[in-house]
Amino acid sequence: MNEEQKQAYLEDYKQEKEKGVKFYPDIIYKDLIVAFALFLLLVGLAIYVGVAAEPPADPSDSSYIPRPEWYFLFLFQLLKYFPGQIEWVGTVIIPTIAVLALLLLPFYDRSPFRHWKKRKVATAIMSIVVIGMVALTVLAAVSTPPQEEVAFATTITDKIVLGQDVYSIHCVECHGAEGEGGEIVGVEGLEGVFLKSISSQDEMYTRSDDTFFAIIDYGQPDLGMPPYGLGYGGELTRGEIDAIVNFMRYTWDDRVEIPEEAAQAGAIPELGPNEIPSYEVHIEPIVKRYCVSCHRPGKKNNNYLMRSFQETMETGDNAPNVIPGDLNSNNILMMNRQEIEAGGPMPPTRALKPELIVIFEKWVLGGAPETAEEAAALSPTEEPTAPITEETEVSP
Amino acid sequence: MAVKVVNWLDERLGLLSIYNLVFDRKVPKVNWWFTLGSASLFLFVVQGITGVFLSVYYVPDPEKAYSSIQYIMNGVAFGWLIRGIHHWGATLMVIFVFIHMLRTFFMGAYKYPREITWVTGVVLLLATLGMGFTGYLLPWNQRAYWATTVGTAIAGTVPVVGDFILRILRGGNDLSAVTLARFFSVHIWFLPVVIVGLISVHMYLVVRLGISSEPKDEAE
Ligand code: HEM
Repeated sequence: MNEEQKQAYLEDYKQEKEKGVKFYPDIIYKDLIVAFALFLLLVGLAIYVGVAAEPPADPSDSSYIPRPEWYFLFLFQLLKYFPGQIEWVGTVIIPTIAVLALLLLPFYDRSPFRHWKKRKVATAIMSIVVIGMVALTVLAAVSTPPQEEVAFATTITDKIVLGQDVYSIHCVECHGAEGEGGEIVGVEGLEGVFLKSISSQDEMYTRSDDTFFAIIDYGQPDLGMPPYGLGYGGELTRGEIDAIVNFMRYTWDDRVEIPEEAAQAGAIPELGPNEIPSYEVHIEPIVKRYCVSCHRPGKKNNNYLMRSFQETMETGDNAPNVIPGDLNSNNILMMNRQEIEAGGPMPPTRALKPELIVIFEKWVLGGAPETAEEAAALSPTEEPTAPITEETEVSP
Repeated sequence: MAVKVVNWLDERLGLLSIYNLVFDRKVPKVNWWFTLGSASLFLFVVQGITGVFLSVYYVPDPEKAYSSIQYIMNGVAFGWLIRGIHHWGATLMVIFVFIHMLRTFFMGAYKYPREITWVTGVVLLLATLGMGFTGYLLPWNQRAYWATTVGTAIAGTVPVVGDFILRILRGGNDLSAVTLARFFSVHIWFLPVVIVGLISVHMYLVVRLGISSEPKDEAE
């Protein structure tokens, strides 16, 4: 702009101002309305959408698909078009040009016009850039594969429950369901090794959470315990190890109290007097806690897997191990510590608590139903009959 | 009485002249697009206030950052609300600052005599993005960790000095406690100071030069 144009602009602007309004209240009231609306929007988003929970950072878990904040996605996508040797075109040249072009805009755009009709080139370029950015963002969003859900817990209760599950799968075969230890039976490479308890007061009072975490993460290879952390070749994420530590601390340390909900979630459901147990309500928690650790793929178990109802009923070299109605089923005999053709007592190291064996026996006797509904249908019709007898007593 | 107090204060603080200069000034009649700048300012203030509250409980240490945020979400009264507002405020601020930039661009508001307003604005936009980038790492969760790993690795591709920049960003070869300390410090000190300084200049210029008028189509 030359001097003349500048003067013309200032003169014109002065007139606009005179025709205009006062900042207070005319302008500021609009600003306040927008601010207020934004505030409501923010509170609404915070309440109804919230912040998605994420598992803790795990440098060893490189399967995680990196996702930048959404407003950087367009850059992320742009870089994909400059692979390998020319990557720096995308990372340096283009961003530098873009920033300089923006920064220096008032100095190279010398035209005095302000209305877009007289600035068609500038308007077109910026429009194309913005549309391009939006398009790249959308492309990036649709082309990033969804993250595989990993189990992680944020509240103490969830951690304890998750920790119990993970402990049951990975630790029980050697350390026992209650951390009691003893002689290891049926674990390749560790057969006959004698383990001390990890749930004793000694253990709980002298080991910090960090120590437990490190032991699970790194293992104690010299003593025979393999590493479990992803970073050391194991299969557990940091969140899962953290969950195990919480489970151990809250369940075995008598100085802390386990939250009521967690205790309930971890407890094996009790059985009513005439109730026939079902797999999903009663048997699954027992199996999960005491059996699956060995009865999953990759373990020495005569191919008997117990991760689901189906597997429990049908798999195994000596299948069927559960015969509905027959107390001579392999499972029941072995639980009762008998040595039979199919194998030795189960679980190998320590007998199940008698009340758990009773649940198992009632389940097999009752026909080994899978769901709670099936079990209810098989149960002796206690509910309809009981009230009727009462009524017959009262009415005459 | 009230008049007396105001007069007493005015004699010493010169409130009236501020009022006349800032609030009572004449400006052209403009449309709603002109509220985007003040909306950006409002969002920045919201981010500042919620951020200060978050800093009470947040611990910038890889061992504790994640659990400190969980504590904010589950343990601190209204912690979840403050964090939710800060989280969404960051997104909204980027959007609003960006659209505000577009508005001043499409209306040619960066031209004489508002060139410096524009230049400070561009730096503000970059600083706002910088806030987003540094803030993203702080929760120290998977998303944060891997996004920052990739983000800083990008800096490493710059020819010649790339490796050097990468080490400055990470404070070493890998993401570590040093990285978190740096990002935290940049997020709560360096960038906010820069932004407050630039907003001051930006606002001074807006008041001094007056808001531009809506461009007219002179052909009509
Ligand atoms: C934290 C970020 C920012 C804040 C708080 C802010 C605030 C403001 C405010 C309150 C105004 C008054 C007029 C209006 O609201 O439209 C304004 C005007 C202006 N802003 Fe910003 N701004 C920011 C970022 C930017 C950016 C990124 C740019 C451009 C790259 C920019 C360029 C301008 C220009 C040129 C004006 C003068 C507009 C006119 O007089 O019509 N600002 N800014």
